[in-house]
Parts: sequence; structure tokens; C-alpha cells
Amino acid sequence: MATPCGYRHPVAMFRLQGSKVLAVDMTGDAVKAKNGSMVAYDGQMAFKKLSGGGEGVRGMVTRRITGEQMTLMEVKGQGTCWFADRASEINLVSLQGDKLFVESSNLLATGSGLRTGTSFTGMRGASQGNGLFTTTVEGHGQAAIMSDGPAVVLRVSSQYPLTVDPGAYIAHQGDLRQSFQSGVTFRTFLGEGGGEAFQIRFEGDGVVYVQPSERNSIAGDV
Amino acid sequence: MTTYPGTGPVIHDPVTLPVDDNVNAYTFCVELKGSEWFLQKGKMIAYYGSMEFNGIGHGRLDRLVRTSFHSPLHASDWVVASGSGKMLLADRAFDVNSFDLEEGNLTIRSGNLLAFQPTLALKQSIVPGFLTLIGTGKFVAASNGPVVFMEPPIRVDPQALVGWADCPSPCHHYDHAYMTGLIGGLRAMTGLGGASGEEHQFEFVGAGTVLLQSSEALLAEQAAGMVPNEPGVPGGGGAPGHPGQPGGAPRLPGQLGDLQRRFGL
Repeated sequence: MATPCGYRHPVAMFRLQGSKVLAVDMTGDAVKAKNGSMVAYDGQMAFKKLSGGGEGVRGMVTRRITGEQMTLMEVKGQGTCWFADRASEINLVSLQGDKLFVESSNLLATGSGLRTGTSFTGMRGASQGNGLFTTTVEGHGQAAIMSDGPAVVLRVSSQYPLTVDPGAYIAHQGDLRQSFQSGVTFRTFLGEGGGEAFQIRFEGDGVVYVQPSERNSIAGDV
Repeated sequence: MTTYPGTGPVIHDPVTLPVDDNVNAYTFCVELKGSEWFLQKGKMIAYYGSMEFNGIGHGRLDRLVRTSFHSPLHASDWVVASGSGKMLLADRAFDVNSFDLEEGNLTIRSGNLLAFQPTLALKQSIVPGFLTLIGTGKFVAASNGPVVFMEPPIRVDPQALVGWADCPSPCHHYDHAYMTGLIGGLRAMTGLGGASGEEHQFEFVGAGTVLLQSSEALLAEQAAGMVPNEPGVPGGGGAPGHPGQPGGAPRLPGQLGDLQRRFGL
């Protein structure tokens, strides 16, 4: 893992223990994690609730307005801390200055060198029932995202655009444009729809994380 | 098992994705080259290439539907994927597996079948809540836990049964000694006095294969369509919408001996 040097001093190391537990080795630095997701720790740890995800007053207000709420805590200390959430599968993502877009409900933890924020997603969010906004994570370091079943990571490049079911989408990373496709036709209203009436198409260069399960969304029923 | 950063997740692209095989235990990749597949609605999670998903009622597909789809009343749960590219299928993070049939037949619980090639014909089984696939081709099925193959003669727990191939004799088996009489009926109804929950099984004899899932949690039942209300048709004229067990909830052991029947109500 090429952690950029000269960035803060100690950097927490994320590793998976099994596929459903995240272990973070810390040497005096701090990570952000979903509130209440700590399952065990050794060494010295301090847990502090971060109001508004540690994004300041502006971030807090933005999250309140956009409905992309997320309760995070800051974990600081020395030793190892283990995180898990309702036996969800955990996937590690490493960021080198790029941006990760993830649903706030799928974000488990972010390293100290990462900032979180909110961004507008448009119709995609609406079709998967997650609201119109999504969470962004950017900077250098590692993040842990959760999925229902192990996520499949799919590369998108200029010759291989990808189309994803909104209910199975969990995150994407890199320089991607997303467009919303609707296959709603008169057949949908006759109850003979293709079952995949809403799709998100990704073009550009990056990776998309999908889970082998679909959230309940209107897109799954038409 | 500890994964250290640096190993990273496997990143798939259309070249590295397998052809008609599992990506992992929960995700299956289908390659379409101008060909078609039948899918249960909403089980596609992502695809590369250009594909179209059409409901079975689509006029252009009439011929295909005529030859490989014989459960007209549950057609609205199925779609035809056509085009070219690679498509990923998954179902609520259940295990998925593909099976090959060669001039064979296989009967499967309707909720477990995810997708099949049109070279197979899908028919409603005489057993309510089950579907039969006949012919040669590949199909994809979901199960709660990995699938285990067993040889008859065998008695299996109803909740663990996924399907069976080639054996023509599925029947109920009850441990009667434990369930007869009024007390037995009460015991079966209420579970008081120590019902083991295993008084009722499905029995298979003869040559063939029985497919079991390694848990007793049923997949939500997919309506297999009503059968014509004719004399002699099992399940015909039954109350609409319950072709089998109530999905998910474990049944009372021994439905044979419920109290109404005992008192002749």
C-alpha cells in the first residue's frame, strides 16, 4: 500500500479480519467510524461522537438539509480497534487523492487523511430510495464500505461503459460520469415491464462497487 | 484470515469476468452474444455492453416464449434479456450456482430459480410452488447456503428442499406414531409436550438426485401461477396466492393432523 509520505505523521492501517470485521491499527492518530460500530479494542482508545460527521457547522447543516444523515464517531488512540456492523460484508477502498462516492448507510470507517462531504446525485438517488444526495470521501488513505454480500468491483473505461441496477449500487470511485436511464414504457404500466426500468450508466474511467443483492426500491418492482 | 492492504480487491472488467460462471459465491456472470436468457425480474445487478430487458408479453419474443415458457400465469415475473455483453446476476446475497441439464429434467422451488437459457423449457410442476425445467442447457439457481446433492432413497426436511432431478416420486412422509390421537394432534398444533419439528418430511425414492440447501430458511416464494381449476389438477381451485407454504415462516409440524380436521369441521 503506497501511503503518501509527508502526510500527517502516523497513518492508521486498515485490514480485514475475515470479511465482516475491520481491524484498524492505530498509533496515536484518529479514524472516523459509524457510530456504535466498535466491537472490540485493545490498547488505549477514546471515542468521541462527531456531530455532523466532523464536517463543521456547514457540513452539519448540509447533511440535515439533504437528508444524507450519518452519525460518525472519532476513534483516537494507540492499539487495535475492531469495527463491524450487523454482519455486513466489508470492503476496503484505498484513495490516493481521488474521490469516493458512497451511500452514507454503506460507509463504515474512513482514515485520518480523508474528508467526507455530500454531493448531489440526481435521479439515481431517487430511484433507489436513498434520497437525492450521496456522501463523498476524498483525500489520501483508506475507507471501509459495507455491502450486503461481498461487493463485486467493476472497472469502467472508455471502451467499457457499465450499467448498474440502482438497488445494487453501493459506491464508485474515479472520474466517472453517471447518467440515469429509464426503460419505462407503456408496457411497464401494463405490468409487463422488463423489471429493470431504472438503470445508472457509468462512463469514464474508474471503478464501481455493486453488491449481490438489491435494496428495496421502486426500481425493483417495475 | 487477514487481508492486508496492498492486496486490494479484485477489479473485474469485461475481459476478466468469467463466461457463464460464478464471479463469487453470490454473483453469477452470464455472457450474451446476440443470444437470450430468461431472468427472474430484477435480478440483474450490472452489465457491460448493450442489453435489453423485455417483459414476456413483448410481441417480438412471442415465438421464444411459445417454445420455452409454459407457465403463462406467472409470466409477469420473468423477463428476457437479449443483446450482447456480460451481465451479473445476484439474488439478495444468497448463494447462486449454475447447473447444466443434458436431455434431462429438474424440478425446482419457484423462488430459487433465477435464470435459464431458452434451450430449456420451463413448465409449472404438478407439485404446487415448483417449476420444472426440461431439455438441455444451463440454469442459475439461488439457495440459502451452498447446495448439497443427495441420492435417493432419502427423506428431507421440507424447508431444506431446493429441487430434484429425474426422480419421479416426491411424497410426504409423516412420523405417524408421534402424531396420532387427540394428544398427538394438540402436540402437533401447539408444539407443547415436545414436538421435535421434524415429524414431517419429503420422501424420495428411485434413481435421481435431490438438491438440498444447507439451511432451513426458505427463499421467499415466487408465485408460480395458478393452475386451471379443473378436476384432477392438484392445487387447482385453491385459494389464490398460497401455492405451498407461507414463505419463510416455519410450518407447524404435521399439517395432516390439525384440529379442525380431527373434529370434522
